[in-house]
Amino acid sequence: MRLARFLVWPAGLTLAGVLFLTPAGGTLRPSDAPAAGATSATAHGKPMRIMSLMLCNDLLLLMLVPPERIASITYLAHDAVAALMPGADRGVAVNYGTAEDVLLQRPDLILAGTYSAAMARKLAQRAGARVVEVPATNSFEDIRRVVRQVGAAVGEPERADILLAGMDAKLARLSAERAPHPLRVVAWSGGGSVPGRGTLTDAIISAAGGENIAAKLPDTRYGSFGLEELLAARPDAILQGETRWTGPSLRDSQTAHPLIERYWRGRVVGYPDAAYTCGLPQSADAALALRAVFRALPAEQAAW
Amino acid sequence: MVRTRGYTYQTLCVLLLLLPAAFALSLAIGRVALPFSELLHGLAAPKPNLAWLILAELRIPRTVLALVVGATLGLGGAALQGLLRNPLAEPGLLGVSGGAALGAVIAIYFGLATAFVLAIPLLGIAGALAAGALTFLFGRSGTLTLILAGAAVSGLAGAGLSLALNFAPSPYAAYEITTWLLGSVAERDWAQIALCMPFILAGWLCLAFTPRGLDLLTLGEAQAESLGVNLSLLRAQVLAGVALSVGAATAMAGAIGFVGLVAPHLVRPFVGHQPSRILLPSALFGALLLLVTDIAIRVLPTSNELKLGVLTSLIGTPFFFWLVLHLRRLSP
Repeated sequence: MRLARFLVWPAGLTLAGVLFLTPAGGTLRPSDAPAAGATSATAHGKPMRIMSLMLCNDLLLLMLVPPERIASITYLAHDAVAALMPGADRGVAVNYGTAEDVLLQRPDLILAGTYSAAMARKLAQRAGARVVEVPATNSFEDIRRVVRQVGAAVGEPERADILLAGMDAKLARLSAERAPHPLRVVAWSGGGSVPGRGTLTDAIISAAGGENIAAKLPDTRYGSFGLEELLAARPDAILQGETRWTGPSLRDSQTAHPLIERYWRGRVVGYPDAAYTCGLPQSADAALALRAVFRALPAEQAAW
Repeated sequence: MVRTRGYTYQTLCVLLLLLPAAFALSLAIGRVALPFSELLHGLAAPKPNLAWLILAELRIPRTVLALVVGATLGLGGAALQGLLRNPLAEPGLLGVSGGAALGAVIAIYFGLATAFVLAIPLLGIAGALAAGALTFLFGRSGTLTLILAGAAVSGLAGAGLSLALNFAPSPYAAYEITTWLLGSVAERDWAQIALCMPFILAGWLCLAFTPRGLDLLTLGEAQAESLGVNLSLLRAQVLAGVALSVGAATAMAGAIGFVGLVAPHLVRPFVGHQPSRILLPSALFGALLLLVTDIAIRVLPTSNELKLGVLTSLIGTPFFFWLVLHLRRLSP
């Protein structure tokens, strides 16, 4: 099964083997799970109309339960689903995170994010739904906790464990094959902020065997990182977040600063924002794909 | 006309001494702390090296851009205050800044910037010219109408910007547009500066022919015309000059407010109230003001670098309030 096309490779580089990743723990699509599990679930009081109010919950929900048990996912999910698990959201209704949606769709379980939790709780009683607030994920440990939490909430703890086992197997493989000298990298998308210590991006870079130079910044989490700092730190590669938003944006032109073109040609590596923003079992796949990119980087960096 | 106090030469001398000092300071200060000795060593050492790259590709363009944009805003503000005989006039008032910002945002929004990096400055200039022309077209019957037309065009540009934000192709684009509008001179490359410079210089040249007309205009429109000033030509010159220079500058640095308003007022006590005496000192002071503000941004210990336009607004708004109160006290 084609799971995801994780990374856009540097020019002239194809790594077809890594493009088609199958999780070690088995299938990911819940529709492939035995149908009996779903039908008997009704009797066991599992939530049957689950509504997700946050992008990351959408993705997790699609992996954990069959589509017929999903009341709706957010309208934001489409692009991330297309990137991480194409077609998994076919036939699943969407919501716009509004109070009207909650009242209309009458869910029995609401998976809310930190920001949508207050609104969901307010409406939960009238909608007759239970609300589970899912925190953001900033590490693989967070991912384990959140996947187990959501798995338990939707009544599929075993599936959650299978997904996590697959993730941990990949992480174990990554740490076993660690390169002696980590590549120094930074996730820099021009202007804006770079993820430092205590972010999921940092965790993925470390798992892939890289060293996030932004983790050394005095302020943890997100800090700004200018071209001056980039020149002074001189990373081996620049990771550039890529979305599936098709629209043009300013950062395309910003990362095309002559200095970047001159000294990091072939060393600007794209990565899918979705896998780095949401802590998912697939974050381990993202780390695997990143490892492959690291290996394929040209050895010699342009001198100055 | 009352004889004005004149310390023009002394003022110019002080400004011309302060500018190189600020220039040197600007090269020495950045987010990467490099001692001055290392910077000097980098100039002598075989190139390219880190210190030289930081100086030649980042700090010098940034400093030059701050000076050019500041001078443009100071000059534009002085010329507009002279033409409109309105102490609250500045490039933003005629909708030129708004038009330039809209043009640049369209370049980003329609993907022209991706296809062609220099599309942002080019469309910014086009937007400024269009906004300036529109203001001139609808405001040609008098000074008050010109201000009103400028306000209307500013509103139009603002609506266009909101529309672009509303229909931004991605949340990232919306975020970027918002950030870009805050204004900054950081991390622009020489090619972008080189593209905008001819337009800015052309704008400055246009304004260089206006001082005599502006001086006579202080007597009143009818009096100026009776003394041989071609008012339509004067308005066209000021508008074209401001549109070209401020349009190109805004396209590069985003919307930076209040410099054009503050600079003429702060030089007036030293050089007097005659427009011809204000233009050059105001341009130099605008350049100094923006460069010092940009240095302050780099010194302030914020984790995310403060945007230039944000700081000029923070400094400029209290001044604006003071000006409004001051004017109310003066007028009957």
